Amino acid sequence: MDFFVNWVSVVPQFAVPFALATLGLIICERSGVLNLGAEGFMLVGAMIGAGATLVTGSPHLSLVLAALSAGTLSLLFGFLVITLRVNQVISGLTMVFFAQGFTTLVSTKMNWTNKAFEGIGKIDFGPLADIPLVGRLLFDQDIVVYITILIFIVVAFAFERTEQGLRIRAVGENPEAADAAGVSVVMNRYFAVFIGCMLVGLAGAYMSVVVSKIWVDGMSGGRGWIAIALVIFARWRFWPALAGAALFGCVEALIPRIAAVGLQVPQYFVLMLPYVATLTVMVWASLGKNSSGAPGALGKPFVREERN
Amino acid sequence: MVESTVKNQRNLFQRFNLEVRDHMLAWQQAVLIFGGLLLGLFLSALMLVVAGVGVSDLLNEFIISIFTSSRNINAVLLLSAPLVIVGLSAAIGFKARFWNIGIEGQVIFGAIGATLIANYDIGPDGFRVLLMGLVAALFGMAWIALPMVLRLKLQVNEIISTLLLNYIAFNFLLHLLFGSWKDPITSFPNSKIYDQFERLPKLAGLDFNVSILLALALVIIFVWVLAVSRFGFVLKFVYSNSKMAKSIGINVGVLVACAALASGALSGIAGFTISASIDSRLTQSFFVGYGFLGILIGFLARNNPLLVVLFSVMMAILMVAGQTLQVFYQIPFSMIQLIQATIVICVAASEFFIHHRIRLVK
Repeated sequence: MDFFVNWVSVVPQFAVPFALATLGLIICERSGVLNLGAEGFMLVGAMIGAGATLVTGSPHLSLVLAALSAGTLSLLFGFLVITLRVNQVISGLTMVFFAQGFTTLVSTKMNWTNKAFEGIGKIDFGPLADIPLVGRLLFDQDIVVYITILIFIVVAFAFERTEQGLRIRAVGENPEAADAAGVSVVMNRYFAVFIGCMLVGLAGAYMSVVVSKIWVDGMSGGRGWIAIALVIFARWRFWPALAGAALFGCVEALIPRIAAVGLQVPQYFVLMLPYVATLTVMVWASLGKNSSGAPGALGKPFVREERN
Repeated sequence: MVESTVKNQRNLFQRFNLEVRDHMLAWQQAVLIFGGLLLGLFLSALMLVVAGVGVSDLLNEFIISIFTSSRNINAVLLLSAPLVIVGLSAAIGFKARFWNIGIEGQVIFGAIGATLIANYDIGPDGFRVLLMGLVAALFGMAWIALPMVLRLKLQVNEIISTLLLNYIAFNFLLHLLFGSWKDPITSFPNSKIYDQFERLPKLAGLDFNVSILLALALVIIFVWVLAVSRFGFVLKFVYSNSKMAKSIGINVGVLVACAALASGALSGIAGFTISASIDSRLTQSFFVGYGFLGILIGFLARNNPLLVVLFSVMMAILMVAGQTLQVFYQIPFSMIQLIQATIVICVAASEFFIHHRIRLVK
């Protein structure tokens, strides 16, 4: 029982990076822009989050700065894929490559690498955390866990119920029709990419500022790619994405537990778990319904009046 | 002048008309791409100057000292060989519209295969290197087989499945290096050093390694397969219209499978080349960067094998000069990665002008 409670109570902090990144990617991709740069935007968020905490001393402000810097870099990505219509796969991969070089360079030059800091701690709910079974899961978490839930509610509402949400869905499903109706495909895609990448950056910042309280080169460790797979798994919908993130939070939270209870499994095979799990859910997703749920114009640059 | 149909496009700014071009002469395309390349190099130079490298030192470190020192020329060729091979690997995948983002994983498995042969002394000494190369190609193929089957049978996106296998391959490599393949003499986490006959040799009488010739031989095979063989002809057809190809009875699945396996085999051979010519053993990080660079080189070269050689040498020059900058100017090596990405972004951006024309409306 102890094993179970200890395991479940740390799941949220492993799930939040997946949840925020997957949400950001869904926003981006529902506007028709395939974003393979997630790993890179996460790295930028994580590095700036840690650096800003070391410089300003305020981890909360740093989360905002980290999201903004990932958003700023996303404008370069947007310029490539939306304005210049460069191949979206290549552009995304280039952003990852760019961000790897950029984060390592800046953090080395600024001397931010491997420097521990205070970070953001857990909220103290007093005796509530002592409730059996679910006490620690619900009342022994940091503030970002609760904010993440809030962000999901706000985004899901905005997407389904507001005009801006409708515009983004329209330019992702059928840009020609949206354009004919006077909706700017270019501006709405930039907007979606910016907001989406800010969330991906926040996911990275959460890992450095809240969870590990340190910046290490390449610390996102493939979570951006897993988030991309989770988008497919969730069929571009928000609540299944949250469920998928929770599932992967469980898988990741299991890794340190396995060693702690003394199970004799080779360490590096345990570390393969998240990636094997991702492959498995991708296969599972492909076995399901015929339609993948992907936005109609995903990955296609918009060119007005292409026919002669 | 260029043939172009005017397809009026109202841009963000009403004063400009954006037109889509159908076709552009090859030399004009070359000029534009070269322009993008120059812009990328200029921005890179700017970054280095900001980081504290003098303008005259730039010329010296990136051009003069590379081409006047035979040691540096050898270093460039040594790095170019695996880059050419991973560039070809990406290119053959692109040609079949199969995105092989898992080059790094296949490089790792290729080198694991080669090291397996070396560690357990399989086969006669004289043929050892040859056997290592063949096994590396097989291991690389094996590592791409799963994403290939998943893509063809279940439409699982190969971009993500190949990429995930990189992380699995990396953890398996660490499992070997921290476990049974640990160096028995030093206990360091790398495999025991290859015997002399298990390495790619230097050419008799010359100073450079045979690996670059291996890469060039693969380039020639690549050109032959794509330009002369029936396979290349059908592949071109499938690339431009796979539905049409299917409807006239071409087995598209088999063709894509062949291209994907060839891509995996090439990456495996690249892994063997790195470990048998550069490190002479399996290390924890020998593969780092080759995956992305292979894809970026394939993209820059627009799948043209001769351009693959050109861009590989360019990337290798950057890396060799980067090592000097690291030692003498305290510039972190990640600067080189940033420069490589900047160049790719600029060249990719220049393609916009190949496909579009901006015209001022009077």
